[in-house]
Amino acid sequence: MRSVRIWFTKKDTAKYISHLDLTRCLIRAFRRTDIPLWYTEGFNPHPHLVFGLSLPLGVEGEREILDIRLDDESYNNERVISELNRVTVPGIEFLKIAEPEYKPLFITSGLYEMKLSSHDNSNIKDDILNKINTKNIIIHKKTKKGEIKEINVSEHITDFNILKNDDSDLHFSFILPAGNDFTINPILFKDALLENFSQENISWAIVRKKLLLKDGTEFR
Amino acid sequence: MLHKKIESVLPLVQKSARYTGGELNSVVKDKSKIDIRFAFCFPDTYEIGMSHLGLKILYGLINSRENFWCERVFAPDTDMEEIMRKNNIPLFGLESHDSLKDFDAVGFTLQYELSFSNVLNMLDLADIPVRTKNRGEYLKDNPVIVAGGPCVVNPEPLADFIDCFQIGEGEEVMLEFLDLLNEHKAKNSTRKEFLIAASHIEGIYVPSLYSVSYNEDGTIKEFTANEGAPSVINKRVVSDLDNIYYPENFVVPFVEVVHDRVVHEIFRGCIRGCRFCQAGFWYRPIREKSVDTISKQSQKIACETGYDELSLCSLSSSDYTKITELLESLLSWATPQKINVALPSLRIDNFSDELREKLALVRRSGLTFAAEAGTQRLRDVINKNITEEEILGTCRKAFEGGWTAVKLYFMIGLPTETEEDVKGINELCQKVVEEFYSNPNKPKGKTVSVSAGVSSFVPKPCTPFQWEPQATREEITAKQQLLKDTVTSKKISFRFHTTDQIFLEAIFARGDRKLCDVIETAWKNGCSFDSWDDKFKYDVWMDAFKKCNIDTEFYANRRRSYDEILPWDHINSGVNKSFLIEENEKAKKAQTSQNCREKCNGCGSNKLNGGKCDALCKNMVH
Repeated sequence: MRSVRIWFTKKDTAKYISHLDLTRCLIRAFRRTDIPLWYTEGFNPHPHLVFGLSLPLGVEGEREILDIRLDDESYNNERVISELNRVTVPGIEFLKIAEPEYKPLFITSGLYEMKLSSHDNSNIKDDILNKINTKNIIIHKKTKKGEIKEINVSEHITDFNILKNDDSDLHFSFILPAGNDFTINPILFKDALLENFSQENISWAIVRKKLLLKDGTEFR
Repeated sequence: MLHKKIESVLPLVQKSARYTGGELNSVVKDKSKIDIRFAFCFPDTYEIGMSHLGLKILYGLINSRENFWCERVFAPDTDMEEIMRKNNIPLFGLESHDSLKDFDAVGFTLQYELSFSNVLNMLDLADIPVRTKNRGEYLKDNPVIVAGGPCVVNPEPLADFIDCFQIGEGEEVMLEFLDLLNEHKAKNSTRKEFLIAASHIEGIYVPSLYSVSYNEDGTIKEFTANEGAPSVINKRVVSDLDNIYYPENFVVPFVEVVHDRVVHEIFRGCIRGCRFCQAGFWYRPIREKSVDTISKQSQKIACETGYDELSLCSLSSSDYTKITELLESLLSWATPQKINVALPSLRIDNFSDELREKLALVRRSGLTFAAEAGTQRLRDVINKNITEEEILGTCRKAFEGGWTAVKLYFMIGLPTETEEDVKGINELCQKVVEEFYSNPNKPKGKTVSVSAGVSSFVPKPCTPFQWEPQATREEITAKQQLLKDTVTSKKISFRFHTTDQIFLEAIFARGDRKLCDVIETAWKNGCSFDSWDDKFKYDVWMDAFKKCNIDTEFYANRRRSYDEILPWDHINSGVNKSFLIEENEKAKKAQTSQNCREKCNGCGSNKLNGGKCDALCKNMVH
């Protein structure tokens, strides 16, 4: 038995697949291949799948991470990728495979890109940039105990970069905490940025570009 | 790609993956190369509709034709509907996201009467006029609206809304129908020209070509065919299940649906003849699929979907003649592939040790019996040919095998039912409990749980009880109370069905065309999803009946005479009326009929199948 790490995308309509559904969807994908997935022992054997970090529903992922175990040590790595791509669904593409270097609990943040555009050509740019400059973007996060905690995103966001900027479109990248200990959901950040606008007049897209280690390099 | 407007509302609704399409094995075609676009509509939510085997078969069948494209459509959930109406998003096909209006034909499957209001709601969401007569003069003005499924045993309550019904099994008639539509679309026919031509296809019923007159008491005086339409419409029957189309794969949903597995229908029809059961008569004659075909096709679908469960379906799976051989064949490849084989409808009288062991090999499931009635006398009335000894004997075996939970299903409100029969339900449950404690090897520290689901009888067309009145709501409530009062053990629990929905179901099951106005009125006043307890609006329905001057008791609680013209008399299921009358008379005397394999009772259904019935292979009587 050996562990391998697989990188995959979760884009287009696949971004609406919830994490639980994604697990089921990928297990079924493996079952359509000849990949010798390792199953747990016991009364109800099931395959062992560990995700780097779940994506919030509606957010796209360009380099998502999945760890699996192979029963047959000699099974070719490249074949895992080609087999999975043969049976996959639209939006989920398998990119590469390698031996895991770090455990998923070393993931500390994610690099994101966000695109906001208004349908009615209203000027969203100034409002949003002003908001970011106030350094006071409050979100309400539910803790595991069910309490609502107030968090100022500005204290946690780093590497904010404007990529494209005209009156009705705003495209920027940023890094937010993401990991076992502390995560800020980029959708809550988006909601806070757009609190002055009506939801239906603005379309948004968020992409998680990659997951990062504490030193800022990519998780691998 | 999703249309922008749809995309923009998806983040705002629950379980948005129900509206995106893009599932594994869903079929996307280049619409410029398509002659006929068909929308297969299931008038309930995605989770329910995606569980339906008929959809999988017809979806695959239509898409197997290069020039046809079939898409799926489900009733959007309440939150999505609200947003769609607010943002002017018309109801769309999941594959192309195009509005239903862009399709050539829109087909509904009618699985239960309480989905009728959803049919109207879905048409309206697509901006298609709900009434046939308002759909314009030409085919191109609006899609042709068709409907099929078990409710077309009596299509009359939807006669004003559906352009044509497909009566019986769809595998053959669907392609004949779409070919004809293609021909008429090419020559820009009027709707009427097309519908008249369609009425000549065997199994197609075009309600607008028939006129009905009524007697003063509300019963039917005369039912007349016009424009050369046939006076009787024969149900379509597929003769050879081994050589009829069956899909090679299923669409695999992302969200969890009710039945999320490989399903295989092993035979059609039922040899039992339980007198309350519509399916048991409607799906006759018996036609079995071979072990080899079932096994090969199931394996292919398992490979193409990645499912880890295979379920066999039929009206009574243990009546399949080679059930042991079939299970062996399936388990030989399913077990190594870690696929669980499930058999949901096992009749208890042939639940053998051997079979039980084979199923236990894979995974243990619960034990469920449909006893239907509490006393032997009443079981004889309904021709449910099982005895108390058989029920208890099976339970004993199950308890010895380690089971501790038993589920029993019963009905109340059956014809000739007395207080004794109702109390008998509890007595039978009590005996099952006692059976558990009389087992000397019962597991230590474990207790038994017997749960009884108690529904109410709904008389259905195409059954020997089609003339019977339904018990009134007051009678049912009293019987439920009686049963609750008799329970003394904490090991027994009862679950009752709501009487309001059952009452409405009874009205529509045997309704006539006068009910069309009621359905439209109730829908306009906000009724939809009537089969959902939390969305069912009984008062709005009753109000609609009042507004349309319809007496509900006339439909639900009235005994019909054998010579009354019934609203569904022109639909020929193959089962002779004289046979149903005979069975009704036998029921009154608590006489049973043998099952079709023991003795052919001459129901007549084989005449729609060239005289063939697989129950007759052995012990041939004729």
